[in-house]
Amino acid sequence: MATNPPLLTAVSSSARQLLLLLRCISFTKKSRVRISAEGIRFSTEEGSLMEAFVFLEKSLFTSYTYNAPPPPCSQDDVPAPPVFEINLTALLETLNIFGLLDPANAMAKRGGEFDSFATHRLNRHNAFSNHALAMPTGICTFSYTGSGSPLSIHMSESGVTTTCDLTTYEASTTEEIPFNRDSLALKTIMRASSLQDTVTELSSMSPETITITATPTSNISFTSSGSLGSATVDFTTNTPLSTSAPILDTFHCPRKTSASFKFGLVKAAQRAMASATKVSLRLDGEGVLSLQFLVELDVEGKEEGEGVAFVDFRVVPLVEGEGDGVDGEGGSSDED
Amino acid sequence: MRFRASIQNIHTFTKFTASLSTLGHIAWVRLDEKDVRFTVIPEQGTQVWSVLSIDTIFETYTIQSAAPNNTINLEVPIAPLQRALKSAQNAIAANIRLTKKDNIPLLSLTITTMTMNSSAPCGSAGFNGRNGSGENGADGYDAPDEFREESAELFGARGQDRETTVTQDIPIRVLAPASVEGLHEPRCREPDVHITLPNLMQLKSISDRFTKLALSTKTSTRTGFTSSASGPKLELSGNMHGCLRLSLNTDSLRISSLWTGLENPELDPEQNSEGEAGLASHPSTRMKQLGDSTGQSEEGWATVRVEGRDWGRVLSVGRLGGRVIACFCHEHALILYVFIGGNETGVGESVLTYYISSYSA
Repeated sequence: MATNPPLLTAVSSSARQLLLLLRCISFTKKSRVRISAEGIRFSTEEGSLMEAFVFLEKSLFTSYTYNAPPPPCSQDDVPAPPVFEINLTALLETLNIFGLLDPANAMAKRGGEFDSFATHRLNRHNAFSNHALAMPTGICTFSYTGSGSPLSIHMSESGVTTTCDLTTYEASTTEEIPFNRDSLALKTIMRASSLQDTVTELSSMSPETITITATPTSNISFTSSGSLGSATVDFTTNTPLSTSAPILDTFHCPRKTSASFKFGLVKAAQRAMASATKVSLRLDGEGVLSLQFLVELDVEGKEEGEGVAFVDFRVVPLVEGEGDGVDGEGGSSDED
Repeated sequence: MRFRASIQNIHTFTKFTASLSTLGHIAWVRLDEKDVRFTVIPEQGTQVWSVLSIDTIFETYTIQSAAPNNTINLEVPIAPLQRALKSAQNAIAANIRLTKKDNIPLLSLTITTMTMNSSAPCGSAGFNGRNGSGENGADGYDAPDEFREESAELFGARGQDRETTVTQDIPIRVLAPASVEGLHEPRCREPDVHITLPNLMQLKSISDRFTKLALSTKTSTRTGFTSSASGPKLELSGNMHGCLRLSLNTDSLRISSLWTGLENPELDPEQNSEGEAGLASHPSTRMKQLGDSTGQSEEGWATVRVEGRDWGRVLSVGRLGGRVIACFCHEHALILYVFIGGNETGVGESVLTYYISSYSA
């Protein structure tokens, strides 16, 4: 048993890409990691009110080897995929360790104050740099030997190799916020930037809650309220100008629905809103909010459909009686 | 006592003072006929002793002193000097001289710039606003902090270009020879490992990230880590096979960066008091037997622990772009020699020596 092959060896040609995705969910320090044959899933949670996860599909890696752990006993139980917790801040900093070393970046930053000798020195060490060989930036390798061992990240760039062993902690809970896909009260797809603008707009009054109200007549409004007052942003599919593309790609709402959330929780998804191109916003029958962000990745030479990844957020609604009762028609500001 | 020189390399001088200013507020400057020495000894953290050949920064250098060996010792506040040099960035000529005004000794920097546009007297007017040198009060520097500029304008021959002369006065203190007698460069045993460091800008950017990592993953709720002694410690190791390793260990992670293929400069037998025999018994000769060039072996490393932020400040000397040799005294100290300027043969080379003591594990 001592010479088991490592459970996971995954090589990515772009640490930057992984960084972009993982940053979306970096609102807490700890992240739960689940490794399976299909990929690595990172998730974070805030209390049990919100959770976010990003699935790094194996196609995102240039090579991905998963050796299922041996079954605990001779019976043919399917072994559970390994789950553990790591310090997400540390992982992000590690992936970004060469962030400042991008030669183009460095040159632009230093500009004139860098004399020729120093430039020569820099270039000497960069003779085989990624740019010279037109290689993607930041090759990194993830490896995990098995339960109790650290998650190792190995990176190599500009003649320096960095190895980081992240201590793995036992996952405290593996419960997820249930989301009922079969009884959707609302489903709409919009540009992530529209949602970001909305949240930014509403956050100026540091509100406590945000209420999402939707009516079957193709109308959705976001209302924030707090001690300083309330504000509403409305979206509609009935675009007055037929020339412009509709702001809502899809809109499905069987009957009027409304749910309120803690504003801070929705705001935690802001980084994802900034990185993503589109977002699918759904409410289920219980009022649980699901935000699924589509992040386009800048992958060269990849087949179509492989250059995207999804970042998911789920938020539990506040109990009824809070943040209700704003009309949504009066005093609203239309966006198109 | 007289001192006067024209500054021939303003950029180098500016970058040099900027590097010193990261470590302390006051420099002890020793001027004599051979060289110019700047020494910064902060209360805590790294000391730097630098010896600049006169022509690294000056030309037409005149010195006259009653003290033995024609030496002048000054205590110079670094920030005002740096500010004065900054205003000389685009100068066509700059002179420095030791003078006295109202009984206050000053280093007076006369800067001549060429203003192409004759319509507005730019340059000179703007400087008066910058006099608020707030940090001087904390220096323990007792002379009144006068920081004056005077300007005189001389119209060029064609009436288009205009020469502007700005004078920046830096209040200083002249030190008696007796008061600097007790200052000696730290002594250290022969190093176990000496190695040429990789590009300092790269090393600094990685080191700074390690420091940040250490601070962000710190689990203890201990407060008051403002003093450098309690900051995060980075472990720096080198071997005699061209490897340098920087590592950090905390509860939640262990991270290390490894450089390979660096140079271990050969020792010069003539520099050793015991010649060839001395080299054979030198600690680094023994260290050469251990370890390997891949850096995977645990043997043959000389290790020191440095305070992350202090180390980052030391590495800011990278802006001078010199060759840097690090000497490791295992578990004891790290000495950095930064060589700047000089020609191929090493004549007229200037050297900055940093003494960094190692923290215990």
